[in-house]
Amino acid sequence: MNGPGANSVLLRASGVTKRFPGVVANDDITLEVRRARVHCLLGENGAGKSTLADLFYGVHEPDEGVIELRGEPIHMVSPRDAIAAGIGMVRQHFELVTPMSVLENVVIGTRGEAKVDLRTARDRLGELCDLYGVEVDLDTPVGDLAVGQQQWVEILKALYLGCEVLILDEPTAVLTPEGIERLFTTLRRMASEGLTIVLITHKLHEVMEISDDVTVLRRGRVVRTSLTSEVTMADLTRMMVGRDVDLDIDVTEASRGDLVLDVSGLDVATESGRGSLKQVSLRVHEREILGIAGVSGNGQDALFDVLVGMQPATAGTIVVDGQDMAELSPAARLDLGVASVPADRIHQGLMMDFRISENLILGRQRSDRFGRRGWLNQNDIARFADDSFANYDIAAPSTTHVTRVLSGGNLQKIVMARELAGQPRLLVVHQPTRGLDIGATEYVRRRLVEERDRGAAILLISEDLDELLNLSSRIAVIFDGRIVGEVDRRDATIDRIGMWMAGVSGAPGEAPP
Amino acid sequence: MSTDMSTTPGSSSGSLLRRGGWRLEKRLEVKPWHEVVTLVGAFIVGLALCSILIAASDKSVIDSYRALFDGALGSRRAIYETLVQATPLIFTGLAAAFAFRARVWNIGGEGQFFAGAMGAYFVSDLWSAHLPRGVMVPVLFIGAAAAGALWASIAGVLKARYDTNEIITTVMLNFIILLILSYLLGDLWRSPDTFYFQTVTLPESTHLPLMIDGSRLHWGFGIALAMAVVVYVVLRRTALGYEVRGVGINRTAGSYKGISVPRVTVLVMAISGALAGLAGAAELAGVHHRLQLDISNNFGFVGIIIALIGRLHPAGVVVSAIAFGALVNGAVTMQIQTGIPAALVDVIQGLSLIFVLTGAVAVRYRLQRTSSDE
Repeated sequence: MNGPGANSVLLRASGVTKRFPGVVANDDITLEVRRARVHCLLGENGAGKSTLADLFYGVHEPDEGVIELRGEPIHMVSPRDAIAAGIGMVRQHFELVTPMSVLENVVIGTRGEAKVDLRTARDRLGELCDLYGVEVDLDTPVGDLAVGQQQWVEILKALYLGCEVLILDEPTAVLTPEGIERLFTTLRRMASEGLTIVLITHKLHEVMEISDDVTVLRRGRVVRTSLTSEVTMADLTRMMVGRDVDLDIDVTEASRGDLVLDVSGLDVATESGRGSLKQVSLRVHEREILGIAGVSGNGQDALFDVLVGMQPATAGTIVVDGQDMAELSPAARLDLGVASVPADRIHQGLMMDFRISENLILGRQRSDRFGRRGWLNQNDIARFADDSFANYDIAAPSTTHVTRVLSGGNLQKIVMARELAGQPRLLVVHQPTRGLDIGATEYVRRRLVEERDRGAAILLISEDLDELLNLSSRIAVIFDGRIVGEVDRRDATIDRIGMWMAGVSGAPGEAPP
Repeated sequence: MSTDMSTTPGSSSGSLLRRGGWRLEKRLEVKPWHEVVTLVGAFIVGLALCSILIAASDKSVIDSYRALFDGALGSRRAIYETLVQATPLIFTGLAAAFAFRARVWNIGGEGQFFAGAMGAYFVSDLWSAHLPRGVMVPVLFIGAAAAGALWASIAGVLKARYDTNEIITTVMLNFIILLILSYLLGDLWRSPDTFYFQTVTLPESTHLPLMIDGSRLHWGFGIALAMAVVVYVVLRRTALGYEVRGVGINRTAGSYKGISVPRVTVLVMAISGALAGLAGAAELAGVHHRLQLDISNNFGFVGIIIALIGRLHPAGVVVSAIAFGALVNGAVTMQIQTGIPAALVDVIQGLSLIFVLTGAVAVRYRLQRTSSDE
């Protein structure tokens, strides 16, 4: 077990308040993190988790209140002070020098020595890796590593600088399920070696799986700190959103209608060969959601891109309502009633420096609905924006505000409002709830079901199995660019889909009845 | 072992800054007045730094700047002359601003200026004998715009089709057009009654009417202001302007939603070239009345600076073009009265640009008082 001082309070925030223009990000927060424990900060997007972590790491200073380490108040004006005090943090956006090796990246943060002794550093890093079971090749340039691997470099950096408290801000967002498993194993080991872990997340099952203590934040305030063993997921959900949320949306099976999307023998070649598609065939009908399950990187991006027209097919047909659109431009496909919600809403879906109202008409700026002969009708645009705000419950200061200021959930609502406005025949959706909080997730899923009931054919590409099992009429599994199995939702089990996702064949796709 | 940072000596330089200190924080939103303050501030800092240069050459700073001001804005006449100087800069500034809005880096304003002047001369050569001024002047401007657009489109098409770097192609095209013009001025277009590389003086029917009698201020200035309004309206009120801004903000998202980035690129280049071409027509028909190699005072290149200082906004372009017109105009008076070289104005321009660009980044932050000890 742990030595003396175990479970004593290591890090404490008392009465901490932090204001930004127009928002109180942290409001009178008091919380204690105990030594050698894994402590989760749980909350929806915008609940104040990242701000609190930034206060612990010296990125911001609290406007009121004190942060204490080992019972003594500490003042930090920059992360340098936090590191000197023994607090390390892995932020959501990594701070790495990509052409340099892992070893060099770790050493680069050390200060005070004129000359860096790489050999000693290598030995110490090796010890750290052995101690915690971290597997990273120290000589690989960081730019060649996958994002999940780069995160390990950030963790190593913090450890190398001698942190006692390690703060991780949404570390699982960039990881595959296996990667998450590995991270959690390592974090447990670190805690048992005496390190204190603060983990920021909005995923309930992660809290249940990894943490000893959990603090729920809502709207910048602490709802409660509990022992994880003493709360249930339902308790946490209630605390997070302030009401009960039924994530299992009632999906009464609608009877499917005519065939809308008929993809057959589709090949897509990518430059690296990774993430390409081979002989993909899919069919989606009216009033039907076809889920595409798969581990990230198995061709989902290519599938989305080839369907919306951003990537050419090297073979095969994409027929929508009887018309092959494989050769058509993205604009022509929009005209055919193909709407899409991309996985990366900030880069693929929105113009962050546009006004919100402008984003709401993206793709239809030349339609008669918003103008005549190339002129935009400001009144029509404003009216549409007002309607969208009302119908989609978009929370923003005004429709003419710059899009950049919005939270993830509201950004996705803008994309949904825009894409669904044209009553699409086919809706191609990729990771629609990634990074969203519970409220927004529930909202997006409900909308998809409503859209299905209206009569749309929906192709839902997702890495979230719960989501797929909840929403899909049928689930197909993509592995290494091929559809390796397809199953009716009623017959779908996590075991069976999991096998397909892992590439274990043997039970090849059964055609739906 | 205490690690309380405030009592550990020499713990870090940061603690020295803490008491009563300030720190930079990112602003959530940049308001228009922040930008205006930055612009004016940059200009003033540029002038202030130049006063060191003036002082270093043992001249009176106050007298020098008074001469500069008198020459630029001190009299009715000075103001008209300032606006004459500003006219081509408004056109070339708009040309650069429009292209830069789409993140199309048209550095070829200078070449497109000459293409425009040549286009204007060409149509004048063809028709000026037959058409009255009321028709000839518009035709002249149309010819100039078409020539500028055509010349810039070369770079636009290369970029759209082959992803050729437009910075390189537009700069190269600047050289090419000047060589073509040299050739024409030495041969086909050369005035028979002169030894110089210049054309004949154009007939009266091509001369732009004056806005103010007795001054040199011609209607090119009015047309420039009108084009600023047109550019603003196109950017804000048309689907094309929407697409231009969209391509500049995020061309990936634009392509996903059906905007043809190559098509927009070619159009933006053409429109930008047309605007720069209009500057050539205005100078030819409003000031010089004959085509020669030195009708541009680097207008194409200065237009880039004007656009950046004007934050790529048509109104900003007009204001900064007039400010620079005033500087250029005032510098002549300053040189005559105090002996300070007019080239000082280039230094002021350069310094102001640097401060504006720095300010553009700085304006996203604000100073925040750090909390003091309890």
